[in-house]
Amino acid sequence: MSDELIDKEEIIIRNYRTSDYQATLEILRELQTQFNIGLDETKWRETSGLRQFKPNLKRITLIAELKSTGQVASMGMLEAVKNNLGQYIGYLNSWATKKEFIGKGVGKILADRAIQILKSWGCEAVRINMAYKGVKRLIDIFGKVGFEPIIVVLEKKFD
Amino acid sequence: MAELFGSPSSGKNPFEELTVIYVLYFDEARGHMPLLIYPDDRYKDDKTFMRPIKYHPIWFLSVNESDALDHIDLEFKGYTFFGKKFRAYSRREKRRAGLTGETPENIVIILSLPNKIELFGDDLIRHLTQDIKENFEKKIFQIIESEILKDDVIKSPKTKKIIDAGDNIKKQLRELIDNTTDHFFSTIIKKADASSIRMQKAIAYLAFKGIDVSHIHSENYKGSFSSIQLFDPNKKGEVNFIDKKPFILLKINIAEDSQELEILVQNNSLNEKKGLVVKITHLREYFEKEIMIELIDSWYAEEELVFISPIIPHIDEYIFFIIDEVSNEKLLSKRIDLNLIKKLNN
Repeated sequence: MSDELIDKEEIIIRNYRTSDYQATLEILRELQTQFNIGLDETKWRETSGLRQFKPNLKRITLIAELKSTGQVASMGMLEAVKNNLGQYIGYLNSWATKKEFIGKGVGKILADRAIQILKSWGCEAVRINMAYKGVKRLIDIFGKVGFEPIIVVLEKKFD
Repeated sequence: MAELFGSPSSGKNPFEELTVIYVLYFDEARGHMPLLIYPDDRYKDDKTFMRPIKYHPIWFLSVNESDALDHIDLEFKGYTFFGKKFRAYSRREKRRAGLTGETPENIVIILSLPNKIELFGDDLIRHLTQDIKENFEKKIFQIIESEILKDDVIKSPKTKKIIDAGDNIKKQLRELIDNTTDHFFSTIIKKADASSIRMQKAIAYLAFKGIDVSHIHSENYKGSFSSIQLFDPNKKGEVNFIDKKPFILLKINIAEDSQELEILVQNNSLNEKKGLVVKITHLREYFEKEIMIELIDSWYAEEELVFISPIIPHIDEYIFFIIDEVSNEKLLSKRIDLNLIKKLNN
């Protein structure tokens, strides 16, 4: 695989299916190794990525699939959550690209589609939750498409 | 059913023996009255035979409540009685104050199947109700009128004419039931997959009763173990799932320390469905309370969706609906009993 950007036409963006479970688990494992995202494999179940509806919450996991081989190149979960002011805020979570596709623009194609979906759901804004480790580089990348850091979330893990 | 009471029926439809179908109505003066019993009316006045019919829980539900559920079942002496209720057009003069000629008739359809083949009941009652509604909704009141007039001691020429007309419609209704059951057992269940244990038990029962089941197919089984060839691989080509439900409930889970109910549902068709309302309600002291309502713009072919609803303390029964936003048609309705799920999970 060369270092060139992958053309939009070569990628299919679609909803997660239960058959994507293994491929997404592998991507999440890579992410866990690199950034310690707190992945608990027993909790990422076959159905976890399906479109989910809950009062005040909508969730989809998008999959970027390589048209030629059917390989899952990237994944990302988007959520619309109603806050206590009654506004829907969109979130991009668990955004990850398979190692060999990093830097080829697949994540950007996926994110564009996700933002389009969140807009259609009536979200007021889009927020990205990202790993703190390596954050500067990512802030620069997302800064180019209009994202600004507005809050810092601190977390304490329970034993 | 007939054999239970010691008198087998004789008719051209070999499936008559398997099921007894009752078409009944609510008479404003006399209560629950049978209009027609298939395969024959001989037990109409037999109180023992009619007991599970006259006291079937379907009578005590309103038409709206009955609509919300696929059907109501009653198990009695090794048989399951499936009930469905609907309203039909009427122009019959009613014998009770406050009711007019136009007051619709309350029609109840009950079918009984031996418990061993009760898994066919859901589909059979759905087909029967649909066929009867489509063909007789506008004229079933004429059968009622005719049956009431039969009790008159003196029959005028006009009365006789009404009775004849009613009998004629009743004959057509009986033929329709005969065709529907025949078609169901000989064609529709062909399309079912025989790999489940319940289905295999039902097939064994049918085979035991001397019914040809060689056309029923199994997705997995490649061989044949007996001369009845339940799973003949040569007949595989003619079997398809055509008549399947548009949505199926795949899994129900009680999640996060019993605080949430997770329902996994699949669009079972090969087409994308648009404009659907998904509703979860619970019943408390006769009042239906909505706890979740979601509009699904598009539900892709074969896509599985997860619906998560909060569990209300001390409420164990919920009803899950999928409704067409435009026609208001209920495409799926299922009662969810938390106690039963907990038992199954343990």
